[in-house]
Amino acid sequence: MTDTVSVSAVSKWFGLKVAVSELTVVFRPGVTGLLGPNGAGKTTLMRMMAGLQVPSQGTVSILGVDPRQDPGIYAKMALVPEDEAVYERLTARQFIELAARLTRVDDPPGRAQRVLETVDLVDSAERRLGGFSKGMRQRAKVAAALVTDPEIMLLDEPLNGADPVQRAKLIKLFVQLGAEGRTVIVSSHVLAEVERMSHRVVAMVDGRLAAVGDLETIRAAMTDKPRLFYLECAEPRRMAAALIGTEGVVGVHLDGERIRIESSDAGNLAHSLPRIAVEEDILVSRVEPVDESLESVFRYLVKGG
Amino acid sequence: MTLVRHLYSRVMKKGRFIGLLALTLVPALTLAFSPLSDSGTNMTTHYASILAGPGFTVAIATLILTAAVLREERDGGTLPYIYMRPIARRSIAASSISAGILAALSVVVIAWIATVVATISIDGRLSDTFGGLIFFTTTTIGYAAVFVPLGYLVSRSLLVGLGYLFVMETILANAVSGLAQLSIWRIGLSIYLGFEGDVDESVIEEFLGSVKPGAGGGLAKLAVVVAIGYSVLLWALRKRDAL
Repeated sequence: MTDTVSVSAVSKWFGLKVAVSELTVVFRPGVTGLLGPNGAGKTTLMRMMAGLQVPSQGTVSILGVDPRQDPGIYAKMALVPEDEAVYERLTARQFIELAARLTRVDDPPGRAQRVLETVDLVDSAERRLGGFSKGMRQRAKVAAALVTDPEIMLLDEPLNGADPVQRAKLIKLFVQLGAEGRTVIVSSHVLAEVERMSHRVVAMVDGRLAAVGDLETIRAAMTDKPRLFYLECAEPRRMAAALIGTEGVVGVHLDGERIRIESSDAGNLAHSLPRIAVEEDILVSRVEPVDESLESVFRYLVKGG
Repeated sequence: MTLVRHLYSRVMKKGRFIGLLALTLVPALTLAFSPLSDSGTNMTTHYASILAGPGFTVAIATLILTAAVLREERDGGTLPYIYMRPIARRSIAASSISAGILAALSVVVIAWIATVVATISIDGRLSDTFGGLIFFTTTTIGYAAVFVPLGYLVSRSLLVGLGYLFVMETILANAVSGLAQLSIWRIGLSIYLGFEGDVDESVIEEFLGSVKPGAGGGLAKLAVVVAIGYSVLLWALRKRDAL
């Protein structure tokens, strides 16, 4: 799969404050989550990819083109900005049609109608954006981005303010856009949502790249952190005793009727556990990894565990 | 055209339009109801009323409207919606200045009509009316070319713009003859008086100082001002953060 967005050794500083530092990363078609706590540099990176901010050093390339040098690339690229800013005096339909007309796409009214339907705003299409809730504004911005049918979509916290039903719909929409072969980059600090959209994440901490790749790969790469599992079985005390000393097991704790296992080598544990269960004749009912979630991975990356 | 129309409608808010219209109508109303209306023969004072009064209010109205063209997009966070379009930066620069000129002229032309009506009410003649329109139009174009880039580049553009009008255009240009050549309203006035031809020397002395009346030279200076303003805005759009 070819790289569609390429960020090479990019830094951005404002006076003495370094917002992004020596960041190199590529994005490909599909949905990628851009993760990081507030102040990590996600929005600055988004803005540099969008061509709105000039990198202090390094280069950004969208489909092989520097957006600062060739505005023609904006026919294939759209941004949903993080802030709530919209043209408050325009109706949702006017706002979306304006985006279509400025991008010079065919049939702006027809396209506007279609994207209004996509984001469930048809009923509010003639209302002014100034009277919209935050969630509705987000949907209007997403529609204004979609109306140009972009190959690259940069979505900066696009789910902010959306109600749970709309969140679910937007997530489904983004997944669908990614499946269509578009490059969809979604910045968020709501980890569960990113997890539902994409398994590929780019994590940033303090303006630096903390990790890139699938969640499982990132988690597996963090070898200095033991992986945690909960084990449910018939005789937890006897099972816990049997696990002590097993290769790759660095901690065993009884937690009510469950056993919490800390393992430095999950692969070895996967082989040892069935053997011990057979030898001890203990029925194992459930083994559950507890820190495979994005939140756990992210906590490790940000706080070091 | 879509961009010019969008930028124009964005700055022409109803409240702002009415307020600025009221401001630019003040000199015409003052002229119509002043004691001069009774005597009506002192041409120097007459010119002063027609030109300096509306000229100054026009400058302030033009500053407020044209500086807002891109500043409000930037401050309101909506700049990405026009910047991230497949539109050449030179087109964005030209559209912004054009929208500023059109917005300012919308107010200025009404102020000019009011001034004409006030003048006619004083001496019953239609003289100087076309020249006044030339003065207002050229001055508006010159100020727009300065204030649109100023609004984009400077966060306190109104303050800086007022400083420019009072300090540079009024005080310094009066005191230093070299600077008078760069004064935009004097450029507009020199074009006007160049078209007018037969003008009282005392008027030229009082308002233009060292600047000589002349339509050709004035238009050339105006073209240079517009070219510089356009180039600065183009540079900013290409090289500066668009936020």
